[in-house]
Amino acid sequence: MSARRILRAGPVSYTILVVTALISVFPLYWTAVIASHTNNEMARTPPPFWPTGNIFHNLRLAMDQAPLTKALVNSLIVAGCIALGTTLFCTLSGFAFAKLSFRGRRGLLAFTIATMMVPTQLGIIPLFMLVAKLHWVNHLQAVILPTVVSAFGVFFMRQFLSQAVPTELLEAGWVDGASTFRIFRSIVLPIARPAMAVLGMLTFLMAWNDFFWPIVALTTQNPTVQVALAGLGTGYVPQQAVIMAGTLIGTVPVLIVFALLGRHIVGGIMQGAIKG
Amino acid sequence: MRHTLTRAARIAGVVAAAALLAAACSSDKKSSGDSGGGNSADKVTLRVGLFGTFGLKEAGLYNQYMKAHPNIKIVEDDVEKSQDYYKALQTHLAANSGLDDVQGIEIGFVADIVAHHANQFVDFNTVPNAAQIKPTFYDWKWAMATTQDGKTVGLGTDAGPEAMCYRPSLLKKAGLPSDRATLAAQWKTWSDYLAFGKRYEAAAGKPVGSHFIDGAGSLFAAAVYQGTTAYDDTSGKPIPQTSDGVKSAWQYASQAATDKLTAGLEPFTTPWNQAFANGAFATLPCPAWMLGYITSEAGQAVSGDWDVAPLPGGAANWGGSWLGVPKASKHQKEAEDLVTWLTAPAQQVTMWTSQQHFPSSSTAAADPKVANAKSEYFNNAPIGQIFGDSAKNLKQTPIGPYDTQLEQAFRSALLTVESQGKSPESAFNDALKNAKEIVGD
Amino acid sequence: MTITTTPATAPSSAPPAISPPRRRRRTALGSRAAYAYIAPFFVLFAAFSLYPFIYTAWVSMHEVDLSTPNKMTWVGWSNYTKLLHNEFFWNALKNTFTIGIISTVPQLCLALGLAHLLNYKLRGKTFYRVAMLMPYATSIAASTLIFAQLFGRDYGLINWVLSELGFHRVDWVNGHWPSQIAISLIVTWRWTGYNALIYLAGMQAISTDLYEAAVIDGASRWQQFRYVTIPGLRPTILFTIVVSTIGATQLFGEPLLFAGDGTTSGGASHQFQTLGLLMYQQGWTNFHLGQAAATAWTMFLIIVVLVLINTALARGRRSS
Repeated sequence: MSARRILRAGPVSYTILVVTALISVFPLYWTAVIASHTNNEMARTPPPFWPTGNIFHNLRLAMDQAPLTKALVNSLIVAGCIALGTTLFCTLSGFAFAKLSFRGRRGLLAFTIATMMVPTQLGIIPLFMLVAKLHWVNHLQAVILPTVVSAFGVFFMRQFLSQAVPTELLEAGWVDGASTFRIFRSIVLPIARPAMAVLGMLTFLMAWNDFFWPIVALTTQNPTVQVALAGLGTGYVPQQAVIMAGTLIGTVPVLIVFALLGRHIVGGIMQGAIKG
Repeated sequence: MRHTLTRAARIAGVVAAAALLAAACSSDKKSSGDSGGGNSADKVTLRVGLFGTFGLKEAGLYNQYMKAHPNIKIVEDDVEKSQDYYKALQTHLAANSGLDDVQGIEIGFVADIVAHHANQFVDFNTVPNAAQIKPTFYDWKWAMATTQDGKTVGLGTDAGPEAMCYRPSLLKKAGLPSDRATLAAQWKTWSDYLAFGKRYEAAAGKPVGSHFIDGAGSLFAAAVYQGTTAYDDTSGKPIPQTSDGVKSAWQYASQAATDKLTAGLEPFTTPWNQAFANGAFATLPCPAWMLGYITSEAGQAVSGDWDVAPLPGGAANWGGSWLGVPKASKHQKEAEDLVTWLTAPAQQVTMWTSQQHFPSSSTAAADPKVANAKSEYFNNAPIGQIFGDSAKNLKQTPIGPYDTQLEQAFRSALLTVESQGKSPESAFNDALKNAKEIVGD
Repeated sequence: MTITTTPATAPSSAPPAISPPRRRRRTALGSRAAYAYIAPFFVLFAAFSLYPFIYTAWVSMHEVDLSTPNKMTWVGWSNYTKLLHNEFFWNALKNTFTIGIISTVPQLCLALGLAHLLNYKLRGKTFYRVAMLMPYATSIAASTLIFAQLFGRDYGLINWVLSELGFHRVDWVNGHWPSQIAISLIVTWRWTGYNALIYLAGMQAISTDLYEAAVIDGASRWQQFRYVTIPGLRPTILFTIVVSTIGATQLFGEPLLFAGDGTTSGGASHQFQTLGLLMYQQGWTNFHLGQAAATAWTMFLIIVVLVLINTALARGRRSS
């Protein structure tokens, strides 16, 4: 009896997964189609289904019309710093909330989670006033530092660590005389690694696509990718092809990150440092 | 105690790491946020903040200016969607920080700027040569950017006098006249226009799926400014429930909707864009700046199969912008000079010949290059004269800070009549309810 | 602070497969070090999140115009009471509820199923996992345009397919239920892969021994799913439900962009205006900052109530 064989995916599973993958990727494909045709061509019924060689022309136009190279570098810095910072700070805080005892722990955690429940779109005005006072307008730190604060990240790491880290392991360490930091570094961090990888990746993506705050705090002189893309297609007749070509350029680095790190991160989750 | 020392050291290490991270992520020496002025050779960089419709760079005006003023560098800061631009502008004005040296102001929010931010902008009545500058503009254009106590927040760039664009071939197929002189006579009033539209819809030869006008909202938006008041009274207070412009515009627009003369489309949406290529409507109220839009969306295949006739009911305006100089700018004088030059009659003529933006300067509109302009795509229609007449005859209707939102409320109400079959009375009440929510109390 | 169009549903915890409840012993060593651990987060939090948070609360008790935010007139609770008499508020509440259910329940079920499939031995695992995150990686601007083209009444791809198959064309934007379904489809498309990844992470902690034992007992794939996967994932599932509740109540980005014309009314008759969109309309379109802040805090209250109900239900189920 091959239990192993049953644990392999069958044809039904593959079909479902392939269909899901196609649906997930279709809009990105459609972006390429729009990027190869003029507005007029896209308006035909039925619309064209395949991208054409025109896409290269539009890609070049997009690079000319918007400072995309600078924007890509900026976005890499911004999203990278946010992902790193969030993961680090939220793991530290999550660990403290999960496993350390201190005065005000319950209240502070509840308050942090409560802040997640209030929508933030109105906070742009006071936040901008604050950032302006710091003279950070049009500088990358105006986008990085406020975004590193992630109550979700704290909540997530706290949940994960409270379940995944056996307290007796920690207590054994303390009894042995190790400092809290040593315990954190050698026991908690390895266990937390898969969750940190997931949090980091998702935070990176969120920061990469963020538009609402960067468009206010930055200008096209020092843009992130989404801000730079907002300046594309100007004129009374925005050529969607150029805008979509720019969008593709803005998405490619994300795909590269996936390609390079995807297996690594996914492997990390797979290995799952939690013992059954 | 060794324990305490180690612990303190660890704590310090964590905090130091955090600080380092913050410092590393915030050192941003490459980019400079200030318009760097005052260094070598007194080179001044002027930042011009615009939204997607100005075309100043494309017309080569920046290069022209920079060649004539070697110490000035012009850098454009552009956002395509004016809603995104306005959101950023409002935030910057609230903090009085992060503003560019020149800021574009659209007609949709000029009233808000005038009402609430006039003292954050340079008053163009106080610049040198103000007395020579003012008469070059249309009265109504100047007035729109002026406060009750006479401060003018910006100089006009383009204007949007309206006409009626149409597809001659579609009208011909329906057996109706299609030359602009005849139509000018037959479309004198909105009632005449609607009667004509009924004939179009009833015609046997009318192409399948085609309607007379793109949407009732377009009719409404054009007609509402043809009364004595539009959405506001003379003090800028919203009065949609009693305004005569709203009443008559609603009457015509809702009639068009109930008579099924419209394609039920909203301008600048994807379906509307696509409708050009598919001939879904025969007529379309069009401001001057829409000609380029139509050319691009409808494509070269139908070149010559579009034409322009005067707008029924008189003159109207849709769109148009100004350039203002925030007082927060570090280079006010240079920015003022730039704005004055960019909006001067000669440059407005260039904007017409190069980008088809109709001037907001009456002097420029009188220039033969503008006044005698014809459009090949539009069947050689004398667009300079048609739009020029509209601009000249435009009445000064009071504007207010909520006009854009109120117009949207009425457009939405008309859409429910067109697409959901709502009765005009109940839709009008919906619009008034929305208006109350918009204005607040 | 994250200001995103739709707040992220965060990944969840992966519990050990078998773990009896532990009693936690207090250690004095924890106390002082703990403050150092939370310090980096809270310093930034105090600097950048606290001020906007308090500001929103403060502003909700005043009448404030967006154009003149420094001019505040005290009105006490009046913004809140006005909200209760506002028909647009009740409409938005209803829409948020219906869109929330349609977009969350199928989505989480789909995500669970997909994660279960991805947990099996697969060829090309990485490809599927990356593909499923593509929707989340696609920028909002791009998705908007694409879905606007797909759901267009006259020239959209979906209506074209429907008419080819002999069905009636649907007015996706102007209809009441069609618009809500369309938006739910967009939300589902965007977040299913994300949640699947979260569930997948949680599933790694479920021991393969349990699956093998189930197989030996003759369990089908579906039974494996029901009796091994789901119980092992219970804490994760609860977590995603809570977080999705917050996300659904605050839903803002997809309705805003579905309108396709930049308007914030959620359709010509507010047919798909959610609470988040109403708040945005009140604040940024109509300039009534105080009113919008009151709406934001009312949403907070609603979320708290929903989360409390959620946790009470979960506790009830666990004890039964």
